[in-house]
Amino acid sequence: MRKKILICDDDEGILDMLEILLDSFGFDIIPEKNSLQVYSLIERHRPDLILLDLWMPVLSGDQVLKTIRASTPAEELPVIFISASRDIASIAAGAGANDYITKPFDVELLLEKIIAALN
Amino acid sequence: MKDQQLAGIGRKDMSLLDIELQRKALDASYSGIILTDHTQEDNPIIYCNAAFEKMSGYSRNEIIGHNCRFLQGEDRNQEARGTIKEAIRHGESCVVEIRNYSKSGELFWNELYISPVKNNNGKVEYFIGVQNDASKRKQGEQELRYQHEKMEQKISERTRSLKENEEFLASIIQTMRESLLVLDPGYRVISVNDHFLTTFKVSRQETESKLLFDLGNGQWDIPSLREMLENILPTNNPVEAFEVEHDFPHIGKKIMVLNAHRIELEGQYKDQILIAIEDITERKQIEQRKDDFLSIASHELKTPLTAIKGYVQILNRLLPENSGEKYKSVLQKTGQYIDRLNNLIADLLDVSRIRTGNIELHKHPFDFDQMIAETVESIQRATKSHQLVIKGSTGHCYNGDESYLIQVVSNLLSNAIKYSPDGKQVTIQLGVVADYLKVSVTDRGMGISQSEHKKIFDRFYRVGEIQQRFPGMGIGLYVCEQIIKNHSGTLWVESEKGHGSTFSFTLPLSKPDTANA
Repeated sequence: MRKKILICDDDEGILDMLEILLDSFGFDIIPEKNSLQVYSLIERHRPDLILLDLWMPVLSGDQVLKTIRASTPAEELPVIFISASRDIASIAAGAGANDYITKPFDVELLLEKIIAALN
Repeated sequence: MKDQQLAGIGRKDMSLLDIELQRKALDASYSGIILTDHTQEDNPIIYCNAAFEKMSGYSRNEIIGHNCRFLQGEDRNQEARGTIKEAIRHGESCVVEIRNYSKSGELFWNELYISPVKNNNGKVEYFIGVQNDASKRKQGEQELRYQHEKMEQKISERTRSLKENEEFLASIIQTMRESLLVLDPGYRVISVNDHFLTTFKVSRQETESKLLFDLGNGQWDIPSLREMLENILPTNNPVEAFEVEHDFPHIGKKIMVLNAHRIELEGQYKDQILIAIEDITERKQIEQRKDDFLSIASHELKTPLTAIKGYVQILNRLLPENSGEKYKSVLQKTGQYIDRLNNLIADLLDVSRIRTGNIELHKHPFDFDQMIAETVESIQRATKSHQLVIKGSTGHCYNGDESYLIQVVSNLLSNAIKYSPDGKQVTIQLGVVADYLKVSVTDRGMGISQSEHKKIFDRFYRVGEIQQRFPGMGIGLYVCEQIIKNHSGTLWVESEKGHGSTFSFTLPLSKPDTANA
């Protein structure tokens, strides 16, 4: 059965690319531009994993994750941060992310991290 | 004969011997002596001694019977003449200095003493004139006066130039766009320039003769500044680039940079302290905006690059097995250029982060030699032109930010390759010196002239002539140095133009300040 991945990034170009890429790896993708929509999308689609951009307007990735983690632990819903920021390691650890990957990333590495987080 | 010589005074009753003796005495005199007969018309000379003949150049024959004025030649309008005339008219004595001319026409200054000889009835019968050649003295006096005048002129010129200098310096001090304060050894303000007053919107009265630390709302009363200022006089260590960020009265929040020096003069300025203060608020803001811009711009560039990189990798995956080598090669090269662009953007981001003091080290212990070996290997894989040779080892585990140190080593290696196009080998020497790890990267390339050794570590600095042949942004070494500095190490270069370069860095194995903490 295909795993569902929710991707939230305010940049449509990245969203499109990730959708095509992860679809080719055999995942079902729920793309979302607006970070405020993440909570309702989790309820509606019950994704297996979330790829979350860090720098987004209105609500940043680490704020979104803190709210998620208040009710859902890392084992239940793994979240991987995506960011161009070099300090992402400490932010990811502080916000309760399972893993992180820096932009621009290597697709093989991203796949490795997704599979590891899903297991 | 003797009677003839003394014809004029023949009436006097005196022995001939006496007269002869007296005549000899008069002839022996240095002074010219004459007698004129006041009872005869035009007061003629009736006697002159040998000295007078010598002085005037005339012989006795040419003198006797003349009025004295013949000595004045054409020079008749002398003030002294009036004095003489008056004296003769009143039958009195006088002393004058008069310009006389000898027979050859040569001027001599005659210091003339005239004295009347009266008969028993008090009537003037003769005048005795005693004359001294005062030319030498007069010349000396004139010379002295001339020198004196010359000296006075020089002094007044010098005084004027000093005054002008002082005014010139004062006008510079008053117009320069930097605030200046002079303190006495007790930190009391002796004087300030106008710029200080306008910058801080204060008056001279509320500043001068006040303690520096009491000025305004105590903006300069900072313990560390106080300590440095207290050290200036005894140690002569200047305070340099001391930044003060403060909410100043009247002018609000500002960033000031302060330099202080001991005045190196003896005398009245001894042990005074000169402080220069510059308002760098705006400069800091501009720098901040530029750094913010760098940060935002490079971050914004990363987003589309991420998409491009992703698409190229998708293309790679979607490429059918039987596609031609051409397609594969084009995709591979595209991938390489994306990585290069990404590194450039990463460098820019690093610069902006270092500038904002945002460099955050994620330290963990790692095998130092292995890190070097892996970094060298990855660079070697991409380099066909050069052989990278590792010599020695450290045999140490090092606690630092591995990814930043990989960046340093990669950068030094890439530079070594880039700037030695004709070199075949780059050496990486590893070792332990005292309690420091030491890494040296040596190339046999074009080298760097001594004058550039410091500048190449400045950000955006490019050695003049190389930009065309070797394009770059002038960031790499700046970032490397900052990374090494953040690890409490040092990075330096040893090089000579045309003879290759060696870039070395050291990293302390134990940090003394934290080891003791």
